[in-house]
Amino acid sequence: MIRQLIARNEFTQTRRDRRFVVAAGVVLLLLVVATWTGFRNYRSLADKREQANQSARAAWLGQTEKNPHSAAHYGTFAFRPKSDLSFLDFGLDTYTGASVYLEGHRQNDAKFSAAEDATVLIRFGEMTVAFVLQLLIPLLTIFLCFSTFTRERVENTLKLLVSQGASTPDLYWGKVWGYSQVVGLMVGPALLLAGGLLFAQTGFDATADTGLRLVLFVLLYALYFFLFVAGSVFVSARSSSSRNSLLTLLGVWIVACIILPKATANLGESLFSVPSSYAFRKQINEDQEKGIDGHNPSSARAKELEKKILAQYGVDSVSKLPVNFDGIVMQEGEKYTSMVYQKHFGALQDQFERQNSLADIVGFLNPYLAVRDLSMGLSGSDYAHFLDFKAKAEQYRFGLVERLNNHMKTFSKTGDWEKTVSRDFWAQTPDFQYQLPPVGWALRRHALSGLALMLFGSMLVWGVRRGLKTVSIA
Amino acid sequence: MLQAIELTKQYVPGQPPSLDALNLTVQPGEIYCLLGQNGAGKTTTINLFLGFLPPTSGQALINGLNVAEYPQETKKFLAYLPETVMLYPNLTGLENLDFFAQLAGFRHTPDELHSLLSRAGLQTEAHGKRVGTYSKGMRQKVGIAIALAKQAKALLLDEPTSGLDPKASNEFSEILTGLAQSGTAILMATHDIFRAREVGTRIGIMRAGHLVESLSASDLTANELEAIYLQTV
Repeated sequence: MIRQLIARNEFTQTRRDRRFVVAAGVVLLLLVVATWTGFRNYRSLADKREQANQSARAAWLGQTEKNPHSAAHYGTFAFRPKSDLSFLDFGLDTYTGASVYLEGHRQNDAKFSAAEDATVLIRFGEMTVAFVLQLLIPLLTIFLCFSTFTRERVENTLKLLVSQGASTPDLYWGKVWGYSQVVGLMVGPALLLAGGLLFAQTGFDATADTGLRLVLFVLLYALYFFLFVAGSVFVSARSSSSRNSLLTLLGVWIVACIILPKATANLGESLFSVPSSYAFRKQINEDQEKGIDGHNPSSARAKELEKKILAQYGVDSVSKLPVNFDGIVMQEGEKYTSMVYQKHFGALQDQFERQNSLADIVGFLNPYLAVRDLSMGLSGSDYAHFLDFKAKAEQYRFGLVERLNNHMKTFSKTGDWEKTVSRDFWAQTPDFQYQLPPVGWALRRHALSGLALMLFGSMLVWGVRRGLKTVSIA
Repeated sequence: MLQAIELTKQYVPGQPPSLDALNLTVQPGEIYCLLGQNGAGKTTTINLFLGFLPPTSGQALINGLNVAEYPQETKKFLAYLPETVMLYPNLTGLENLDFFAQLAGFRHTPDELHSLLSRAGLQTEAHGKRVGTYSKGMRQKVGIAIALAKQAKALLLDEPTSGLDPKASNEFSEILTGLAQSGTAILMATHDIFRAREVGTRIGIMRAGHLVESLSASDLTANELEAIYLQTV
């Protein structure tokens, strides 16, 4: 009751403060614009990639009669569809490749990120909803809350409040609740717009998964803002002057939102370094030539395979085989190179994951990092979702090439490179359809950040309850 | 009823206490004025009664209850008016009064709120204006209305008339006298010797944490009081 009264009082006062109304108006405008442009951007990318996937499929289907292995070299493309929520948090999407070229013999990296097409201005970051939510709203929260106790102490209203029977915890939690409502008022309209746009584009028939991701996204930021409001009001309660309070809070913001993320990224890079692209390719080629263990060169592997197949069919020369030996050789080669690629890409990805997990660990101290991580995860624009796309594209590529090799093995004889398959064969190969993994999968990937945020929140509340016992009134 | 028993406050160990073994009683209907230079311990005394500070030793009692033990209960019996109340500049005088009265657990109708403000001497046109546009005297009147709304048994005032014009100061004295007649115990720290002599029933003079004189106001003229004050401090 008393807390609600105090909350309402803070809310009314803030609403009538012209400085605040202007600042909040600007932030609200920024948010709405970021939501709208983010959505436009997302729509156009999603449409383009959808079309690109269709034309890649059409090109595949439109192939002339040709040898299956020629088709494997002809290859096809897989374009990564944009996830529904990626317009709220672009995450790594701008920097990760949009498409993978799928061909026989080799695994290609995803190429053509949006950043490649952008100007140097991309270095300053993009104006996304996540940027406003993660960095600007906390800053505005600080400006909103830094003097809430210190000013009342100077102006003697604090004494009056306490003499009227309000306890320090009443005042604290009332203020936190009041300012939380103010922040909600700033952020709410933009999130409603985001939800509206999202559901309108699907004719209000979005999947439950998307809905759940959006709900969790909103809850995540609600918790994040609560931490900032609670922390700012607490610093104000414990500070001797508004000036000290503001300096402390701005210091925390700069360290948490700018210095620590940069330092974590740099430290991660130097601790867990990755090979250059050239060295990476060279290693893969060497492993293919000389064998993964370095003692099993490709020539020896081929001889062994020949011996095994001849024994299997009970003949003494390749020409007497009832199947096309080239098809078998190529499929075995495909298996072997896949192993080599898996080893090297796996090691590379592990290294990137280690860099990311350093940020997850620092997230226990810095909720900004934990929220950034979870936000990307929920939006489907993080590294894990990117890897999932790559893995599924690779799975599809392997299946497709295997199908072509097996077809070649059974429908033609060894050395017959001229025989072609009819055009309707292409339609029998399955299309690549990428499905975003469910939200539960995404949450498991970011469980550490979730835990970090919970732990940080509990510690903050615990610290606040302890610290409020010795807040000075006079 | 307000009572201090051997009330002592030492801010820094090793330094002389800011308030040293104060014994003081303010009965219902009494107005006790504390005089003394800045730093004599007047505000410390009031802050101890309000429970804003823990006493080093001794007790501050309100209606027989120890403030340090029952911080919330004793606040129900008292109202407080600081030297300057800024209040909330974005709220009107009426809204400020309503907010503080509700904090203390009183829900008043708008009519009651208006009449409280008028009793405190605030002109009717100002009731609906934002406090940011008020003068110091007008804010002080809202503060008085807040105290009136609480119908407290004890009233603590910390230099309430400093900065008020003589007319406002005079109106203020009348309100205090009225409250005392209805049975409120009033403790007021002040620099205004003349005003203290006018409204006070008893007058205490403090120096360096000690209550050095405790006089009955009716026995003295303002000039005599000033002479004693100048000798004492």
